[in-house]
Amino acid sequence: MWELLKNLADWLTSGDEWSGTAGIATRLLEHTQYSLLSTLIAALIALPIGLLIGHTGRGAFLAINLASFGRALPTVGLITLVFLVSGLSMWPVYISLVALAVPVIVTNTYAGMAAVSPEVKDAAAGQGLTGWQVLWKVEVPLALPLIMTGIRLAVVQVIATATIAAYVSFGGLGRYVFDGLAQRDLVQVLGGAVLVAVLAIAVDLALGGVGACLSGLAGSRAAQHAPSPHGAPGQVAPPHDR
Amino acid sequence: MHRRKVLAGLLAATATPAIAACGGITSLKDESTLGEGTGSSAGGLTIGTANFTENQILGYLYAEVLRAAGVKANVKPNLGSREIVIPALKAGDIDVLPEYQGALLHYLDPKSTATEEGAMQNALTIALPKGLEVLSYSAAENSDVFAVTPETSEKYGIRSLADLKKQNGKLVFGAAPEMEKREVGVVGLKKVYGVEFKEFKSLDSSGPLVKGALKKGDVDVANLFSTDVDLAANGWVALADPKNLIPGQHVVPLIATRKADDKVRKALARLGAVLTTDELTKLDRQVDKDKKDPDRVAKAWAQEKGLAT
Repeated sequence: MWELLKNLADWLTSGDEWSGTAGIATRLLEHTQYSLLSTLIAALIALPIGLLIGHTGRGAFLAINLASFGRALPTVGLITLVFLVSGLSMWPVYISLVALAVPVIVTNTYAGMAAVSPEVKDAAAGQGLTGWQVLWKVEVPLALPLIMTGIRLAVVQVIATATIAAYVSFGGLGRYVFDGLAQRDLVQVLGGAVLVAVLAIAVDLALGGVGACLSGLAGSRAAQHAPSPHGAPGQVAPPHDR
Repeated sequence: MHRRKVLAGLLAATATPAIAACGGITSLKDESTLGEGTGSSAGGLTIGTANFTENQILGYLYAEVLRAAGVKANVKPNLGSREIVIPALKAGDIDVLPEYQGALLHYLDPKSTATEEGAMQNALTIALPKGLEVLSYSAAENSDVFAVTPETSEKYGIRSLADLKKQNGKLVFGAAPEMEKREVGVVGLKKVYGVEFKEFKSLDSSGPLVKGALKKGDVDVANLFSTDVDLAANGWVALADPKNLIPGQHVVPLIATRKADDKVRKALARLGAVLTTDELTKLDRQVDKDKKDPDRVAKAWAQEKGLAT
C-alpha cells in the first residue's frame, strides 16, 4: 500500500511524466478542453430551453421527462453508437458529453425559474415590465443560484466522464486509466483518477466563485428592479392596500 | 471498549454461519490433506473470462461440461485483459480460465521461441508459477491477425507483415490499448519486421470500435482475431507472418492445481477434442452477428454435441 502511494507520488511529481506530447500537462489540457467545450455547448442548448419552459410554464412536463430520459442514457453505449456512424473523430466524444450535460442544466434552470414566486412576477408585470423585462430583470437574477448549480453539477459530471475520450483512442486523462488498466499499471490508473478528481474539484470551486460574484451582481440588480420597496431581493412585500 | 466487544461479537455471530453455509471451511480442510499435484473440485469452480466474446463463450462452455460432470461451476465473465485475469487466478479469485497457448506463453516468458503446439505446452508447464497448470489443449485455435482492407493491400502491395515496412511512418495501427506494449503488437512488429507506424490508435480487442475504424479507413492496419466473422465477411486481408512473430494459439484451460481433479481434467479434455476452429468460429458468429447470449449459445452447442444435458 505504502509502496503504491510512494510510486504514485513519484509518478505525479516526475518531470518526465509531465512533459511531452503524451505527458500529464498535455493530457490535462486535452481533458480540460473536452470538458469545458462540451459543457459550453450543452449550456448553449440547455439554458434557452430551461428559461423558456420556466418563463412560459409550458412544455415543462415533456421537457423534464425528456431530460430524465437523457440522464438514463449510458454514455459508453452512446459513444460507441456515434463512433460507428461517424468514424474516428471527435464527434462521438462531444456528442456523448453534451448529451450528459444538457439534462442537468435544463432541469436545474427550470427548477430555478419555477421557484420564483408568481406574486413577484405579477407585481413586476403590474409595474409595466414587459415579458422580456420580467425574464431578464426579475426571474433570471432570482433563479441564478440554481442555474449556476446546474452548470457546476454538469461540469463535474462531464470532467469525470470525459475519460471515455480515451476509449475511442483520443487523449485526456482517461488515457492513463484505460492504458493503465489494459497494461495493469496501477500507478498510472491511480494517477489518472487522482488528476481527474483534482481537476473536477478545482473547476467546481472556480465556478462556485464565479457564481457567487454573479449572484452578488444580479442580487443588487434584482433589488433595484424588484417591486419590493423594502427587504431583500426575492422577498415579497405584503400587498398594502387590502 | 465495551461497545467494540459487542460489535466484534455481532460480527462473529453473523459471519460464522455465512462461512459455513458456503462450504469454505470444509473445502479448505480437504485441500490441506491432499498431496501435491492433485486437487479437489468438491467446492465448485469459479471460471473467469477475458473481455471479448469468444473467451466468454469458452468460459460458459467450460461451465456446461463441468456441470455435466457433476462439478459446481459459476462464470465471472468479462473481467479484463490477460494482465488482469491472470493475477486474479493467482490470487484465488477465480479457479480456471480459457487461455490461448501462444499468447499465454508470451505473457509468461517473452523470450520463449516455441511455436509448435507440443513444444509450447511443455514450455508453458515450465514457465507457469507454482499452483497453476495448463490442461490438454483444444483442437480449436484463434490467433491474432493483423489485417488491412483489400484496397490498402492493393494500393501499397501489402500481403505480409514484412511488406508493412515499405510504408513505415505512413500507416495508422488500431488495436486494444495493451497492444502498444506487447510482443505480439507494436513492440514485436518493430523488432522482428522493422515496422514503424505513423500512429497507434487505442481502440478495442477485435470489437466494434477497431472494426468500425478499419471499415471507415480511420486505421490502415487493425489487430483482429482469426476467428472473427467480420474478417472474411468484409474480405479483409490477414497479413502473412513469414518470420513467425505470432505463435500458434490453441485454446487451453489454465487452472489452479488445487481445483484440478480427474473429473475436471477429463471433462475439459473431452470438450477440447470436440471443439474445432470451425465450430468455435460458428459459436462466435451466433453471439457477434445473431446477438444471442453467450451462455445460451454455449449451452445449446454443448447439448447438441452430447457434452451437456
